[in-house]
Amino acid sequence: MSTAEIKQPRVRTYALGAYIAGVAFTRDGETLAAATGAGEIRLQAVAGTKTVKAHDGAVLSFAAHPDGVSFLSGGDDGRLVRTTRDGETEELLKVPGRWIEVVGAHPSGPFACAVGKELRVWAKGANAPAATGAHPSTVTALDFSPDGSRVTAAHYGGVSVWQVAKPGERPRTLNWKGSHVQVRYSPNGRFLATATQDNAIHVWRLSSGQDMQMAGYRTKVRQLVWTADSRWLLSDAADCFVAWDFSGKGPEGQPPVEFGFGDGAVMTGIACHPASPFFIGGFENGGVRLGDLDGKRELVLREPPEEDGKPVRAIAFSSDGWRVAAGAEDGTLSTFDLKTA
Amino acid sequence: MSTTQIPVTVLTGYLGAGKTTLLNRILSENHGRKYAVIINEFGEVGIDNEIVVGTDEEIFEMNNGCICCTVRGDLIRTIGGLMKRAGKLDGIIVETTGLADPAPVAQTFFTDDEVRAKTRLDAVVTLVDAKHFPLRLEDSREAEDQVAFADVILLNKTDLVSPEELKKVEARIRQINPYAAIHRTAKSAIDIAKVLDKGAFDLQRILTLDPHFLEGGHHHHDHDHDPATCTDPAHDHSHDHHHQDHDHDHDHHHHGEVNPKHADDIFSVSATIAGDVDPDKFQRWITDTLRDEGQNILRSKGILSVKGAVQRYVFQAVHMIADSTWGQKWREGEKRGSKIVFIGRHLDAAKLNAGFEACRE
Repeated sequence: MSTAEIKQPRVRTYALGAYIAGVAFTRDGETLAAATGAGEIRLQAVAGTKTVKAHDGAVLSFAAHPDGVSFLSGGDDGRLVRTTRDGETEELLKVPGRWIEVVGAHPSGPFACAVGKELRVWAKGANAPAATGAHPSTVTALDFSPDGSRVTAAHYGGVSVWQVAKPGERPRTLNWKGSHVQVRYSPNGRFLATATQDNAIHVWRLSSGQDMQMAGYRTKVRQLVWTADSRWLLSDAADCFVAWDFSGKGPEGQPPVEFGFGDGAVMTGIACHPASPFFIGGFENGGVRLGDLDGKRELVLREPPEEDGKPVRAIAFSSDGWRVAAGAEDGTLSTFDLKTA
Repeated sequence: MSTTQIPVTVLTGYLGAGKTTLLNRILSENHGRKYAVIINEFGEVGIDNEIVVGTDEEIFEMNNGCICCTVRGDLIRTIGGLMKRAGKLDGIIVETTGLADPAPVAQTFFTDDEVRAKTRLDAVVTLVDAKHFPLRLEDSREAEDQVAFADVILLNKTDLVSPEELKKVEARIRQINPYAAIHRTAKSAIDIAKVLDKGAFDLQRILTLDPHFLEGGHHHHDHDHDPATCTDPAHDHSHDHHHQDHDHDHDHHHHGEVNPKHADDIFSVSATIAGDVDPDKFQRWITDTLRDEGQNILRSKGILSVKGAVQRYVFQAVHMIADSTWGQKWREGEKRGSKIVFIGRHLDAAKLNAGFEACRE
């Protein structure tokens, strides 16, 4: 894929009326789901669109289920719900008085959510979750290792790496002062990146535990993405695409590659193409742009609205890389079909 | 800009001061507004129709080298979650535990981007139990901090004390925080307009809580001091400049035991300049002062007259986090002056006064 192939992406927008907390596709790419602050899951396919009320309050966290045909949503009603592409819902967990703010899954089968300071982990095929021990603070993010054998929780003071098969065993901890709010493994499993409260990114080399810090972001980093080849790490929170090169000796002492300086707006959401170094950035003013790292250029997919555009936070690629969905705080859902040439 | 930001009222007060009663009053009143309440202790908050969220207090240090820069991680998360909900919120009320330090709560609203974009700290409202406050001061640093941080103080349970006791406790509060608005209440009964939407952290409205901020000053200069107070040169200085001194100093004369004198008591220091300040000198001085003394300075506020400027220059800070802007215009023929107030511990009043004096235009 190259930007030359993308001539005139077909753009559609929908008003969902409430904060879009997450977007995801089924594995076949045919159904797009968007979860909102009204507790609804909108399921959109060629055959038609269906909206399911899955939560009493707001959806706070959202992910594709490992089965590839359903979705996981956590809400401020204390429930974790599975919604199929046909609109059937199933309650997987209910913890009254708690918020389910973090959910994550691995395509090989396991998934997990955070309940306060603990994780609840469903091993592949498990009907009931197992609880990890408590972390030093409320869990703010989780990610599975690329092989699906580990699940890592971000919290105050660092991250904890648990074994999916033995959540009762003591975790490996990687410590760095401050509050960690996001965590993402590199696809080759060699690096673990976190975003911290103080507008920085922290990265550990997992073999040695050696770590590095990347600072200077305009705001707090919320989303981290690695390219499929594990060479580049990008994030939101700057006014352009900022890419750190992890090939060779890594990014230490090297400036990042920066490209796609647009209108000065700060990026509030980012997703990476499943195979190529292409990125979709969503911006604080409602704009959406595609970034092409090889060509060091960008393509505007959606101009920000003339006034009152709201931050675009939830972005996802379909697994074939040709469809993109972007959800904004004001409920604007945009879909981009890149394959129109 | 502030019109789209949701006002946040922070409710503090030692255990048993009446926070839950006040909260229930606010929420049960037929005001037609939608509030979300964040509570750290599960009391008998029994409200249908309102959003009540319980969180565990999580104090996070920032990694930016500023040691007193702590924030409340639980508030950052909870406010982020509330912003996802469908439907408009008219306000957020944060009820802290009786032992909570108000500083990280306040600092959260100045340091986190997302919280700052969506909400604004409206005021810190502190409930004080008129009967037990003197005891609380003996055994808890938090009770004193909560009063020092307050923009609005509800001197509650006034029905349980004699008028003399009430006068004494109010004088003690004034000694810690001379500029908060004090309302005497029984059973937390108060017009909610006096508690909500005060704009205490809005620099444009800094005078609304204390319209006499620039007045007072020197006319109490010559009255008596409690001998105990005078042993502390810092206290001596601070008292010289308060307009509230008269009452409480007299009290101390007759009831010296009301003012247990500890080395780490909170007190305030104010300094005035009859005319203009040099804005560059002031900026350098206040930056250095907050950097060096920001741990001891809980809150500070200033209103300055700058030569040739038609507007007041207003300033405020919570520990080291400062904010300043141009405020209301000076009226035609109005007597212009500059004043700054610090509330904190171990303040060197002589040094602060000299430093401010050196900013004179």
